[in-house]
Amino acid sequence: MKDVSVFTPAGRLLSSGLVSAVYRRRRLMDLLMTGLAGLAVLVAVVPLFSILISVAIRGLSALNLDFFTKMPVPIGETGGGVLNAIVGSGILVGLGTLIGLPIGLLSAIYLAEYGRGRLADTIRLFTEVMSGVPSIVVGIFAYAIVVRPLHHFSALAGGVALGILMIPVVTRTAEEMIRMVPQSLREAGLALGLPRWRVTVSIVLPSAASGIVTGAMLAVARIAGETAPLLFTALNNAFFSTSLLRPIASLPVQIYTYATSPYEELHRIAWGAVFVLVMMVLITNLLTRLAVRSGYEMKR
Amino acid sequence: MTHSSKQSRFQRWLALGIAIASLATVTVVANRAVVTRAAEQISLTGAGATFPQPLYEKWFAEYHRLYPNVKINYQGIGSGGGIRSITEKIVDFGASDAPLTDEQLAAAPGKLLHIPTVAGAVVVIYNLPGLENARLRLAPDVLADIFLGKINMWNHPRIAALNPGIKLPALPISVVHRSDGSGTTNIFTSYLKTVSPEWAARVGAGTSVKWPVEAAAGKGNPGVAGQVKQIPGAIGYVELAYAHQNKLPFALLRNRAGKFVDATLETTKAAMAGAAAEMPDDFRVMIVNAPGEDAYPIAGFTWLLVYQKQSDPVKGKALVQMIEWALKNGDKMAEELDYVPLPDNVQEKVLATLRSIQY
Repeated sequence: MKDVSVFTPAGRLLSSGLVSAVYRRRRLMDLLMTGLAGLAVLVAVVPLFSILISVAIRGLSALNLDFFTKMPVPIGETGGGVLNAIVGSGILVGLGTLIGLPIGLLSAIYLAEYGRGRLADTIRLFTEVMSGVPSIVVGIFAYAIVVRPLHHFSALAGGVALGILMIPVVTRTAEEMIRMVPQSLREAGLALGLPRWRVTVSIVLPSAASGIVTGAMLAVARIAGETAPLLFTALNNAFFSTSLLRPIASLPVQIYTYATSPYEELHRIAWGAVFVLVMMVLITNLLTRLAVRSGYEMKR
Repeated sequence: MTHSSKQSRFQRWLALGIAIASLATVTVVANRAVVTRAAEQISLTGAGATFPQPLYEKWFAEYHRLYPNVKINYQGIGSGGGIRSITEKIVDFGASDAPLTDEQLAAAPGKLLHIPTVAGAVVVIYNLPGLENARLRLAPDVLADIFLGKINMWNHPRIAALNPGIKLPALPISVVHRSDGSGTTNIFTSYLKTVSPEWAARVGAGTSVKWPVEAAAGKGNPGVAGQVKQIPGAIGYVELAYAHQNKLPFALLRNRAGKFVDATLETTKAAMAGAAAEMPDDFRVMIVNAPGEDAYPIAGFTWLLVYQKQSDPVKGKALVQMIEWALKNGDKMAEELDYVPLPDNVQEKVLATLRSIQY
């Protein structure tokens, strides 16, 4: 083969100096593209890390035990914390998850397993549209259906707003995950005589569980940082409150309020609260990843 | 086998029944505890202007210390949000930096009272590199023409004539204003409208206006302060507290008496005292270009918005008592935070209005 190749046009080309030029050009192109890809990664990662680092630097100095266990103090007094906002954020996100997760998951099951025809297409379209709706609009919606009829700002209204925001995120990711479960698994279940619902509950959902959980965590992370939909629903509360029918404090709204105030002391607390919020989201994400992965490995 | 499984099923049902029963008991007991506690606890919610928020928080925290059963939660969602919330009766009181228009008052389901609490000064901040420590002097017509775009260089002869000792740079003037609707803008544009016929004709006053000059905009007081800090040659307007806290220089303004005055507690108080003589009964008044030797010309009240007929007697009483306490005892706290408390003659009048509230 080698000897023959010298006499073919391609072979002659290969043996000539042109060959190395072609290769060099390809290698250069390869290098250039790898470089560009690396640059793109850098562009994406640098802001993330610069945010994390600057939040850590400016936030850590504000943190102490009081920060987590005391109530805010008015300007002019030192000390105090954001206990009410931390607890309030927990309640709001929990409430949002309680509302958003079941609805989102059930719509995803319907769309992936049962939905056919125009109804399913319409639902899918609306889910897409909903995920593009600015969060403040969702806040106004919750204001109209909860705050106005009840005649006061309430944690419930905030939870509804966050829940609605969560639905499309959960639906879209869960539907994708459920669709990825191989058809053969379903057929195997049906062949054993399981009813359709049983196949969904006992075979499809467990197989898709890790993906669904990841999607749900993404949704939780998204709503945990939302400020706009809370401003006109949960409002904020200078006092400690766990009542669902009263205004409630939350970290994002507290950060917003403090950051726009003229006082350096409040800015410092705002940075601390930002750090706590980022850490809460990060830790929940990591914990779920860990839980999902260990579950997956156990199954294997 | 069947026997034992039947028994275990029975046991399981029994256990479930007991669990539900005990849960129900706990819930009922807990509910009762909440009900008895709620009888003595009073929670009021207020929302509106962001400008007085630090002071209101301070007042209400202090009040809670004195009367631990009263919790007053105030949140700065903006004057517009405050007016809307009180009109829709989803808060116990509203707050605004801009007085309600007649149409807004008519839209409310009951008679709304304006209760002025404090006043604040709006200052003209600027960024002139190298002149951080110099205090610029500005006259009303010059200020209006800067914001109209007719004076667009810092070394313009009309600015230089007012500031003989200062070597002004040949720097273009960049105007910065608020991007959001704001009580501060209302105060500032009301002033320009009062002092400049051209401004009155071309722009007018309001919480947001059509600015005549190409300008940068910032959201909220911090947004404007931030923009001015970043742009050399910038000029903007913010509440006094923001200029102080951000250590931004602000201009001395020539008042109606022809004197250049600094924005301080005293000069703002002087402006209020001047306005007090012409105070209308509903307190809807702007304190711009006030008469008086030492009156600072750009200031404004901030108001609480309260219904004259309170629907809840307990809450209504608590609300009136709290406002009365704040007006009588809140002066020192206000001054510490750069707010100007009401002069005595105005306060008397406000207390009389407060007593007209029915609950």
